[in-house]
Amino acid sequence: MNKKENLLKGFIKENPLFVSLLGMCPSLAVTTSLENAIGMTLGVFFVLVLSNLIISLIMSNEKLAKMVKPVRIPVYIVVIATLVTIVEMLMHAFLIDLYLSLGVFIPLIVVNCIILGRAEAFASENKPLDSVIDGVGMALGYGLAIMLISIFREFLGKGTLTIWGDLQLDLNFIFEFLKIEPISMFTQPVGAFLSFGLILATITMIANNRKLKMAKEVSK
Amino acid sequence: MNLNPLGTKEETKMNRGLISGLVLLVIGIICGLMLALVNYFTAGRITEEENKIKYAVLEEFYTLSEYEISETQGEGSFSTIYFLKEKGTDNVEAVIYTVSAKGYSSTTDVEMLIAINSDMSVEGYKVTTHQESSGFGADIVDNNFGVDEIDDLSNFQAVSGVTVTSNAIKTCFTLVSQRVISDLGGGSGE
Repeated sequence: MNKKENLLKGFIKENPLFVSLLGMCPSLAVTTSLENAIGMTLGVFFVLVLSNLIISLIMSNEKLAKMVKPVRIPVYIVVIATLVTIVEMLMHAFLIDLYLSLGVFIPLIVVNCIILGRAEAFASENKPLDSVIDGVGMALGYGLAIMLISIFREFLGKGTLTIWGDLQLDLNFIFEFLKIEPISMFTQPVGAFLSFGLILATITMIANNRKLKMAKEVSK
Repeated sequence: MNLNPLGTKEETKMNRGLISGLVLLVIGIICGLMLALVNYFTAGRITEEENKIKYAVLEEFYTLSEYEISETQGEGSFSTIYFLKEKGTDNVEAVIYTVSAKGYSSTTDVEMLIAINSDMSVEGYKVTTHQESSGFGADIVDNNFGVDEIDDLSNFQAVSGVTVTSNAIKTCFTLVSQRVISDLGGGSGE
């Protein structure tokens, strides 16, 4: 696997949210607006890239790896929890609105399966540089996935797209043109499950069609 | 006495466990130091931001940047009491009370902010929390009760049809009027 493949696999082929179905709880909860999704992506990006780097640095040193091996999960958790706490402090100090709207889901990044999963499955067995690339790819893949869900939910639920703070696209004219109201159900939890299910179904359909095509070509 | 091979094996195993534990401890300490460092840089700013949010509701009455704010916890019906002092001095310019009284709802009291200037005039008041019946009861939030001077509540105008809620508001004003003189430092009164 070369570096480009390593980076790109997180986007579609091994997308943590839509393919591995990891870390769904915060993803469904914070996607009420695009702004939240972008903020969450920032947090996950910081934590995932640095945790991959640090863990791979620890585990690529043979002597250290031997000592750490029996307690590797606690070590991972300590590293991840530290990074998450740093993110939380920084967000609290500099992006207080985002901090308030993400609420409990920032500290919950600690138990996000994606981060521990990448640490155990990739960073512990690969070189630091590869692990960083993997982290960047996975975090961006995750980010794109939750942004997709949040665009879907915010547009259908409120008719707007909040990019950052006051930077907001008002798309209510589409609803006015169709003579209907925005469907506020989509900003509620039930809307999260529905949106996620619909997007997942669409992606699976596309993937299945491609597989079928490939199978037909092979059999020809 | 001969050492049996099992014993030594157990021993190395134990040592290994101990070493792993120590490594974990060292990593934990490093992480703790990192956190302390970040906390050192962000703590000040966090308090600043928190205060901004906390005092945002007071901005309705005064421009807070012109004053020095201190707060105390009142007893009984009073919760937080904010003292606005002129910058650099001890002169209390205004006092803002958070005071609550029992209204129509059995679970949630009516809570309001009452801002009093040092000359006993009422700068403003605002109901912040209540669970009175919607419709009439909820009207109290922006209602004008006709109180301009805290030492004279005779002009109090109740909202007709909402006696219990109006009484709760009046209780709040009365409670404030009972203690405002001593809070404004009595000294200016003589």
